[in-house]
Amino acid sequence: MTIQIELTGVNKHYGAFHALKNIDLSIEKGTFVALVGPSGCGKSTLLRSLAGLEKITAGEMKIAGDLMTNVPPRKRDVAMVFQSYALYPHMTVEDNLTYSLRIRGIKKAEARKAAAEVAATTGLSQLLGRYPRELSGGQRQRVAMSRAIIRNPKAFLFDEPLSNLDAALRVHMRKEIRALHDRLGATSVYVTHDQIEAMTMADHVVVMRDGVIEQQGQPLELYDSPANRFVAGFIGSPAMNFIPATVNADGLSLTVNLGTLEQNLQINQPLPPGRHVTAGIRPEHFRLTSADEGTFRVPVAVVESTGSATYVTTLTDPELTLVETGRSMIRAGETIGLSINPDQVHVFDAGTGTRLARE
Amino acid sequence: MTESFHNRLMFVIAILLAIVYLFPLYWMYITALKSGSEMFATPPSFWPSVPEWGVYAEVWQSRNMGRYLWNSMVIATGAVVLISVLGTGCAYVLARYRNVWVDIGLFLVLMLQVLPASLMITPIFVGFSQFGLLETPRLAVILAIAAKSMPFFIVLVRATFMSVPMELEEAALVDGNSRVGAFFHIVLPLARNGILVSAILIFMQAFGEFVYSKSLIQAIELQPASVGLNSFMGPNTNEWNKIMAYATIYVTPILAIFVLLQRRIVSGLTSGALK
Amino acid sequence: MKRITSSLTDGKGFDIVLIAFPLGFLFLLAGLPLIYNVVMSFQEVDMFSLGSFARPFVGFKNYIDLFAQPETWPILKNTALFVVASIAGQFCIGFGLALFFWTNFPGASWLRGLFLVSWVMPGLVVGAIWNWILSGDFGVLNFLLKESGIVDGNIFWRSDPTFSLWAVVLANVWLGTSFNMILLSVGLSGIPKDLFEAAELDGANAFQRFWTITLPMMRSSIGAIIALGLIFTLQQFDLFAAITSGGPNNSSNVAQYWAWDLSFRQYDFAKGAAISVIMIIFVMFASVVYVRSTRHEVRG
Repeated sequence: MTIQIELTGVNKHYGAFHALKNIDLSIEKGTFVALVGPSGCGKSTLLRSLAGLEKITAGEMKIAGDLMTNVPPRKRDVAMVFQSYALYPHMTVEDNLTYSLRIRGIKKAEARKAAAEVAATTGLSQLLGRYPRELSGGQRQRVAMSRAIIRNPKAFLFDEPLSNLDAALRVHMRKEIRALHDRLGATSVYVTHDQIEAMTMADHVVVMRDGVIEQQGQPLELYDSPANRFVAGFIGSPAMNFIPATVNADGLSLTVNLGTLEQNLQINQPLPPGRHVTAGIRPEHFRLTSADEGTFRVPVAVVESTGSATYVTTLTDPELTLVETGRSMIRAGETIGLSINPDQVHVFDAGTGTRLARE
Repeated sequence: MTESFHNRLMFVIAILLAIVYLFPLYWMYITALKSGSEMFATPPSFWPSVPEWGVYAEVWQSRNMGRYLWNSMVIATGAVVLISVLGTGCAYVLARYRNVWVDIGLFLVLMLQVLPASLMITPIFVGFSQFGLLETPRLAVILAIAAKSMPFFIVLVRATFMSVPMELEEAALVDGNSRVGAFFHIVLPLARNGILVSAILIFMQAFGEFVYSKSLIQAIELQPASVGLNSFMGPNTNEWNKIMAYATIYVTPILAIFVLLQRRIVSGLTSGALK
Repeated sequence: MKRITSSLTDGKGFDIVLIAFPLGFLFLLAGLPLIYNVVMSFQEVDMFSLGSFARPFVGFKNYIDLFAQPETWPILKNTALFVVASIAGQFCIGFGLALFFWTNFPGASWLRGLFLVSWVMPGLVVGAIWNWILSGDFGVLNFLLKESGIVDGNIFWRSDPTFSLWAVVLANVWLGTSFNMILLSVGLSGIPKDLFEAAELDGANAFQRFWTITLPMMRSSIGAIIALGLIFTLQQFDLFAAITSGGPNNSSNVAQYWAWDLSFRQYDFAKGAAISVIMIIFVMFASVVYVRSTRHEVRG
């Protein structure tokens, strides 16, 4: 279990702005790590610092065991796939691929052979003589990846590579990128703002906000046990519902406040009575019943159906989003009943947002 | 080295480069202030020992600069007015459409930009004399300068119009404006800055124009400052301090305008006008 | 009638009016003289026949006489030399400065603008200043050259036939470098930044990045700038008038100055026209190159 990339206490300042705050991150060789977070959280800055395109102001960064402070990008032996692909427009696909080899002095014939091999694995063999402007978005993406592959680098860095593609292509390329990673046994760091990409592609997900790592772990860990309200609301789509609540005197239930409705909700572990908290429930965890059964009775505001799923928004304050698979008989204006398993109620501190400890 | 040290070093080098490059300007200013004998000192002094501030008044009087500068103003202003009035509308149309006619028009306009004044002066002189335009020599020069500089103005202003989104004009038309109204009320005000910058550049060019002025204006009292400078510098000139004083008076208004508007002018030139 | 008025305010009429007057004006004052020039070059013109259109047609006589004159080929050679040297100087120094300012340290953009002063000043004033700087006995350039040990004695820039053309070249390079620098800066900033980052990650050092990325990406800009430089250099007249007046003995005479001289000093209008025609052909060629190098955008 070798550590391929290690960051210890990494800080980055842009003048007065503290972009990265004490980042500690260990990435094992062969893993696919996703860096997710909202705009401005520092994920791109972190990636670019790994590449050497930005300099860190404090901390240590090691790639394959070597300390990378003051090592310029061209000596780090990492490859990056840019958001805009950054293909050299004045070179053919083949020249784009062989560029890094020719720069290091490898003979043209050898370089071309390597390019042909890589092109075969990424399906670009027919396109070697074309120029980037003649290619489609998906093809350019594959050229960008091939350019990285041919270098056999210590790590692959991806900077939101799929955000310029349309939805259908994105789904397809997600699988291709992950398949490539597996085939090559590579170590990949993948930056995205799309949590679905992170959840489906990564072995290890790192959620960032405001320059800090909020939580990291396996995708389903983050889904099941978010460490704080931010991660809980960021992971999972549609987003988790948050309801203000207070812990009841018995310590085993909450009074949740839905505007005009107050309701008792069972939880599965004791909490200090009287504490102000936020209850978090995922839309898919509500069980819809008729109005008579069910713990809650809530009026329905909007019903949206995509054919494969139905999204219901309730007329409460705060409003709740529920999702059911398939068709539903619910109409807007009706009152429905909701039920929830206590194990699926997340409780967060109302002020700090941290999950109130369990076990 | 750290980033801020690097930045400061670059800044210092840049200042040094600017000093070297702008040295001739500095030399003009201090030569004007040197006394007659100090000018010819070897080694030359880099700062006048006794600055002769009186040289400016003297040159102004003896060379009748007031009249020369007035003529320069008349010519430059006339040229700018003519060019702006005619050129703005032309640039607008050339920016608005893209078809074969516009391409031809653009090509012609660009080709006419390239003709050197010193080559065009021959037929212009002959033609003007046939039509009696040499009777009003300053008008003749204004017309000639307008023909020479209008293509440059059109190219610059066209780029400005291209940056005004078509949607704004369309919205104005839908709101009830005629084309005339849309042009004057919406498009023109938005292009005002670019037009101003281009007009200033044209003014500076016309203020310093020499070839047409020298060839078309025989009467001394109608000649502009450029011709005045040229006649001051005869073949065996040695009154360099006075000549430099003349040059200083001539050029400082332009330099002042330039320094004030430098950012606008540079951004006007770099905003794609010359692509 | 109503249709015409409505076309004028709302339709094509408006555009036509806006474009007809300026184009008409340009045709009259630039196009016609051009044609007139060509016609005149085939005629015999003197002071007296200046007033009439119908002048004796002499075919190519003016051209033949022109090339029979001993000074013609040296002057054409000077012109070529002037153009090549000016463009080389302006381009190389301008490119160096553009690259320097491209690193965009704080203060770069306004400092860069200062250099443009040389371009906005009247050519005659620039010529006057350089005339004085290049003075043989008292010019500051000679002083600096001697002090730094580059030369031993004074170079008589203006009166020595070997140096007279270079005197004007020097002044012209100073005049035009800043404009070149600005245009080259525009070209440089048109290159997407991430291309350089990608090249850097691929292992290229600064020199390699310049050769394999910067220069090739600037190819069309460079073509346009050199064509423009050719056009402007062939237009340069004021410097010659201010520094050497083409002398001594035609050693610094160039075609555009000579054409004017033939017409307005020697009153040989026909020969002046003939030279103009030859020159204009060159200039037209350069402008075709320029137009083709610039790609035009659609309105945003």
